[in-house]
Amino acid sequence: MYNNKNNKMKKINIILCLSLIFAVSCTDDFNEINEQPDALSVSDVSAKFFVTNIQKGLFKPVAGALWFGQIFHQDQYAGQHSGGHSQYAWDGNFGWEYTAWLQEGTNGWLAGYNSSLTSYLRQVGEGGALENDQYYAIGLIMKGLYYQLYTDQVGMIPYSEASDPDIKLPKYDEQIDIYKGVIAELNEAISLIGGNTTTGEGVDLLRENDVIFNGDMQKWKQLANSLKLRMALRAHGAPGEDFASAAASEAISSGVLADSDALFESYNVVSNIWVEHSSYGDIYYGFGEIGQWKMGEPLINALSSVNDPRLSFMSKPSPGGTVTLDITEASESQIAFLKGTLDNAGLILDTDYSWTQTSSELTITMPENTNYVGLPLRLSPNIKGLFNGNLFSSPADIVVNNSNEGKEISPFIVMSAADSHFMIAEAIVKGLASGDAAGHYQTGLEHAMNLWGASLTSDFSSSEMGTLTGSVEEKLEKIATQRWIANYTNGYEAWSIVRDTGYPTSAITTSSDNSIRSLSGEMNGGYANRLRYISSAYTSNADNIQAAVSKQGPDVKTTKLWWAK
Amino acid sequence: MRKNVFKIILMTFFSLSIYAQQFSGNVTDENGIPLPGASVIVQGTNSGVVTDFDGNFSIETSMGETLIISFVGYASQSITVNSNSSLNIQLTPDVLLDEVVVTALGISREKKSLGYAVSEISGDNVNTIKDNNLANSLSGKVAGLQVSQSGSLGSSSRIVIRGNNSLGGNTQALIVVDGMPINSSIAGDGEGNQYTQGSNDGGGQPSYEPSISGGGITDINPDDVESVTVLKGPSAAALYGSRAGNGVILITTKKGSRSNKLGVTLKTNLYIDNPMLLPDFQNEYGQGTLGKVFPARGGDTAWTGDSWGARLNGSLQPYYDGSVKSYSAQPDNVKNFFRSAARKITSISLDKGSENGSVRFSYTNNSSESIIEGSDLDSHNFNLRGVADLSEKLSIDAKATYFTQEVTNRASTNGAQGLLGYTYGMPRNLVTNDLRNYQLDNPATPEEFGVITYSDGLVGNPYWMTLHDENTVRRNRFLGFVKINYNFTDWLNAFVRVGADVTHLRDNRILKPGRHFETNGAMRIAENSFGELNSEFLVTANRDLSDNLNMVVNVGGNMSKRTYEGMVNSGRNFKIPTKFFINNLNEIGTPQEFPQSIKKVNSLYGSVNLAYDNFLYLDGSVRNDWSSTLSEDNRSYMYKSVSLSALLNTFIDPSQEFFNLFKVRASIAEVGNDTDPYQLFQTFSVPGAGYLGLTELQSPTVKLNPDLKPETVTSSEFGLELSMLNNRLTLDVAVYDISTKDLIFNIPVPAATGYQFEKTNIGKVTNKGLEIALGGTLLKTNDLSWNSSLFYSKNENTVEELSEGLESFVYNTSTDGNLSIKATEGGSIGDIYGREWTGEVDANGAPIASDVDVYLGNAQPEWLGGWSNSISYKDFNLSFLIDARIGGKIYSQTSADLDEAGASLRSLQYRESGVVLEGINTETGAANTVNISGQDYWTAMSNISENYLYDQDNVRLRELSIGYRIPGVESIGLDSANLQLVGRNLFFFSKEAEDIDPEVMLGTSLGIQGMSHNQMPTLRSIGLNLTLNF
Repeated sequence: MYNNKNNKMKKINIILCLSLIFAVSCTDDFNEINEQPDALSVSDVSAKFFVTNIQKGLFKPVAGALWFGQIFHQDQYAGQHSGGHSQYAWDGNFGWEYTAWLQEGTNGWLAGYNSSLTSYLRQVGEGGALENDQYYAIGLIMKGLYYQLYTDQVGMIPYSEASDPDIKLPKYDEQIDIYKGVIAELNEAISLIGGNTTTGEGVDLLRENDVIFNGDMQKWKQLANSLKLRMALRAHGAPGEDFASAAASEAISSGVLADSDALFESYNVVSNIWVEHSSYGDIYYGFGEIGQWKMGEPLINALSSVNDPRLSFMSKPSPGGTVTLDITEASESQIAFLKGTLDNAGLILDTDYSWTQTSSELTITMPENTNYVGLPLRLSPNIKGLFNGNLFSSPADIVVNNSNEGKEISPFIVMSAADSHFMIAEAIVKGLASGDAAGHYQTGLEHAMNLWGASLTSDFSSSEMGTLTGSVEEKLEKIATQRWIANYTNGYEAWSIVRDTGYPTSAITTSSDNSIRSLSGEMNGGYANRLRYISSAYTSNADNIQAAVSKQGPDVKTTKLWWAK
Repeated sequence: MRKNVFKIILMTFFSLSIYAQQFSGNVTDENGIPLPGASVIVQGTNSGVVTDFDGNFSIETSMGETLIISFVGYASQSITVNSNSSLNIQLTPDVLLDEVVVTALGISREKKSLGYAVSEISGDNVNTIKDNNLANSLSGKVAGLQVSQSGSLGSSSRIVIRGNNSLGGNTQALIVVDGMPINSSIAGDGEGNQYTQGSNDGGGQPSYEPSISGGGITDINPDDVESVTVLKGPSAAALYGSRAGNGVILITTKKGSRSNKLGVTLKTNLYIDNPMLLPDFQNEYGQGTLGKVFPARGGDTAWTGDSWGARLNGSLQPYYDGSVKSYSAQPDNVKNFFRSAARKITSISLDKGSENGSVRFSYTNNSSESIIEGSDLDSHNFNLRGVADLSEKLSIDAKATYFTQEVTNRASTNGAQGLLGYTYGMPRNLVTNDLRNYQLDNPATPEEFGVITYSDGLVGNPYWMTLHDENTVRRNRFLGFVKINYNFTDWLNAFVRVGADVTHLRDNRILKPGRHFETNGAMRIAENSFGELNSEFLVTANRDLSDNLNMVVNVGGNMSKRTYEGMVNSGRNFKIPTKFFINNLNEIGTPQEFPQSIKKVNSLYGSVNLAYDNFLYLDGSVRNDWSSTLSEDNRSYMYKSVSLSALLNTFIDPSQEFFNLFKVRASIAEVGNDTDPYQLFQTFSVPGAGYLGLTELQSPTVKLNPDLKPETVTSSEFGLELSMLNNRLTLDVAVYDISTKDLIFNIPVPAATGYQFEKTNIGKVTNKGLEIALGGTLLKTNDLSWNSSLFYSKNENTVEELSEGLESFVYNTSTDGNLSIKATEGGSIGDIYGREWTGEVDANGAPIASDVDVYLGNAQPEWLGGWSNSISYKDFNLSFLIDARIGGKIYSQTSADLDEAGASLRSLQYRESGVVLEGINTETGAANTVNISGQDYWTAMSNISENYLYDQDNVRLRELSIGYRIPGVESIGLDSANLQLVGRNLFFFSKEAEDIDPEVMLGTSLGIQGMSHNQMPTLRSIGLNLTLNF
């Protein structure tokens, strides 16, 4: 009896022991199975594989960022593109009032970009697993391009405390400090590059993965100088600024990007624009006619009024034909505005178009594919119906070509040689450097024409716009206008030029009459001077953003930035 | 074929029935007074009779079978049939309710001994009035359990017990079938490319799950269910480990009876489904804008889909298809889009046994139509269960279930772009049938392929989407286990059990060329496999330590392995636009591979149950888990629970004059919660198609954390159970307090840190609540009995703390950007923030909306209630369930869209007159005098989310059944025949929300509760059940 019991107890003991062994010793493979099979660790990779991604991330973002950002905001604010004609899905006030979800597209992308850049800098920087000072220099220049673009959209942003994984709640820096900091980092990059021409040898050698310069480090150095000059000129004269003069002359003497362009090549193949990268064409053609915006009136008129050879390279003439409009509800001022738009485009009544008006109908006829007419910006929903799309010019095919059709698509302009020359001319006119401003202006024009496949005709180079003459202010206006045109398709920079210089004045679209141009929401007819902050910042970093808002001014689009005119 | 099977069954039945014989008896109470209406059932079968007025019964049975005689308020008796003689059976009043329930690890316990809340529902309760999804049949039947549906045919539902315990992880209950946890993963299968593994929940999920697939409990055949036990809160669940922190739903399936008589049950259910409700539409104005028939605005050449046109007067007007048509109201055009859908569920079960074992086989076919044409579900469920005593000590129990289902064109409810987004908002003068011409005949050019629909722009044609596009989801699932039990002695036994659950899912989706989106067509094929293998053992010792003290010790262990793997191939732009397969695509996307991910959890556990003198019960349990998803240092973690139950009736009311049971109980528990695989170390991913063909690597956006700790859920619970007046009245009250801390969460960090999220342990969430279940026998006479139960549960969820600097976390923002669902410190999960009207108007007289950060309410209901009833009169039985959901808010973007489109009944207001809104005009700074048109007013109002925030309050007749036991069927060779007329979701007694059913949410994720946008209407089902027992 007792024996029996003991036996059983033994059995229980054995089971208990077995079970303990079973649970503990079976964790041997736990580390192994928790390694992700479809991901690489740092030991598997080389730094060059990260370069394309950080470039693409800034210059060819996904459709959401391009559509909800540049197309609805910056390009329109810059006066270069315009939506809101009668076949267009959205009213002309789209982008001209604050629409949260639209803005989040841009902001989310801009705020999010920093994570891949920071990760890159951490890996190639000192002590990183892929340490290499040339890759690091490229990273610093990308960082400069990013911060300049970002702060110029919204104003104060986290900079000095950003990129530190231990600071979860970074403070917002004033723009002047961001500018100073970026210029210092550009100086660091310039000195790291020194006389280097490549990033290294073997696995360290960067070539085609650098879509902008194919690994040419001297070009990177020139880009750094051009960017430094851009920031110096923008900061020049802003409150508290004391570095622009030195930075501008340093940049020019070190050598800006004067002979070639920094372009980010457009890739023609994309299977999903929402998660990969996108070009204008993906959106322009992706939704049929209702997604197809037009050329902005300021840009078309700026080109056509001076017979700029780029007009037909940048845009297409209006489809034209006969357009019949119901005007029973249109006011006289609305009809007059439409007529003024055609006249301001340089069209001559009864020569370039005919106009027949009854009490209920207006018929406009113009030859097909002949006239260049830009669409006015910020059209009120109340006037939208009068602005038939056939009357207005579209962007050139190369701008809006669809992906996946083997057609060439214009690249993203990171920094053009033209802009570099225009900036040198501007520095000279402003007295920050010495030299032949008019010469740089003309060299700039030459590069600017070439960028679009046009060439500088003698007619144009000898025209009023083609020569840098006049008062200092007139010269600055010409330079600003040309820089603005040279940044067509880079709405971020084009808009910044308008806000910084006040030129071209035609691009600054405001409204006081809601029957013509949109006057609604918080902007209340004012011009857009910045974008609003991403809304999640108010919940994830509330104290710091509140501090920024109290310093910079209300978080609305009409608040002017530090350097704005 | 079916006829032949039936013949064989009948023949088998007749050959067996020779051995059956008549057995009669009389049932009386303790005083010898006849008990009419007592039930007499042959154990393990469905055959049974009820005693007559004099307490007499007569039943056909065979020698050796056991009869169970029961009557409410009396202890059941079982009697083995061993002679022909009739027997007098005297029932004694139930001293205690010796109700036995299945608890954790499948251990059966007397309910009175439990120190925590348990609810049990019988199989009849879920398989009489069938929903395609078993989860939906639990609604309103258990205090503390909340089911939220997501709509489409074959979709899953969300089951939450006692509130949401986690911010980002899974907050749904664990489903355990016959002791084995099953996989509840769902794979989103829409255009959003969202494939989730592990949990059907989480903050990171998209607000769009274009069509929600089934999974988990949806694959369980209601006809195989013997009972469902709900273990609420962590304490009941401590033995199941991490996944059980949100409670457990234990499903016990049927076994064969040990009677040597062949039991045959045939069941046919036929249901007709119709929409229970549709939005309220206006029928006075038609397609157009600014009060005009198209074309209205000057140069506008695009057809608008809005109903802001002219008054519908029957005049001839241009129609979207190019014709000219009478401009007249089509009040039922939305309704006409839906069909009356037939659901046919047929099952047969066969069982037979001997004293040494039994076998049960069942087959169920579910052939269901959706109320949307083109969408159907067809499933087959095969289930084989066998139990056998191999020797006196050794027994085996094994089950194999194979389930195969095909769902075609499950309606995508992708918000504005979903099928119903294009249906609800259709112009009020549109004739639904005209939409069937969605494409030209014999199209040749790309233009001719294009979709024809009522509006220009990116508007789809709903018939195109459901009849022309193709979506097929095939699920194959195997569930099985084998359990070997060994009884060492009469007090010691052990078992080992191995169970497998393997699901394979194939999802084909073809968008045809010419579509509104993807104009050149697109397709996508996804394969997903989920697996779960559990191997476990349990040793149980049950001894009386003294006369008064009994001890039960359980020691067990489990190894769980869960896997997921998948593959997605997709592309767009068909070369030849008439055949649809991957190689016919011009742009084939990079195949996405999801290599097998494995999660293993090893566990050891034990429990001790002490029972003292049948009145005091003390339970303690510990469990330790080792999870492969955590680092070596944090891998091992322990759970503990203690509970106490005391039966005080022996002191309070020893003679049982009033109380038959007076039980108080208390328990505390702590449960851990681990995470998904690969959450510890930073890696880089390779995006398939490199830019310009270059190899690219992407850095992670989430900062991972090698020091991740398990989440900890602690709970305490107190309860009171009373049974009174000869057990005619019962009351069960529970109060609980559950607190979760160290929540594993991707906290959004400013991207300036170099990441977008950081995975870390943060915060604390608490759930406090009260549950009351009141049951009673309201009437009991000879022929009539009425049993009734009331349930009430209230839960209060609080986010006590998040993380430094993170005051709130945004789960999701509605597609119109006007509303978001958040968790806010000091608030609760599911707080709804949106816009309100500032009281100001702009220059046009349009209302100015506030920013989107105004608190508007919370998505969680305040309390849930249910009232279920069962009334028997002779051969008739009537049962009904009324349930209520009170409190909590839901945003109806459906309504906002309809107002903006001028289609809703509401949009008639101000239509002709316009309105001068009272408020300050920001242009003038003075009181507003500008008149705004009705169209502009509703366009502005539809963007102010507070206008569309409705209370979830609703009370509905959820279930009703009228049953009739057809008498005299014995003469045609049947044991019994039952006919039932059943209905589900019959009507609302009250409902606050306009246009929508407030219980139907955007999806099953935690972060999208409280939002609704063009969901499928709730179904009103009316059906007929016929059950035949041989």
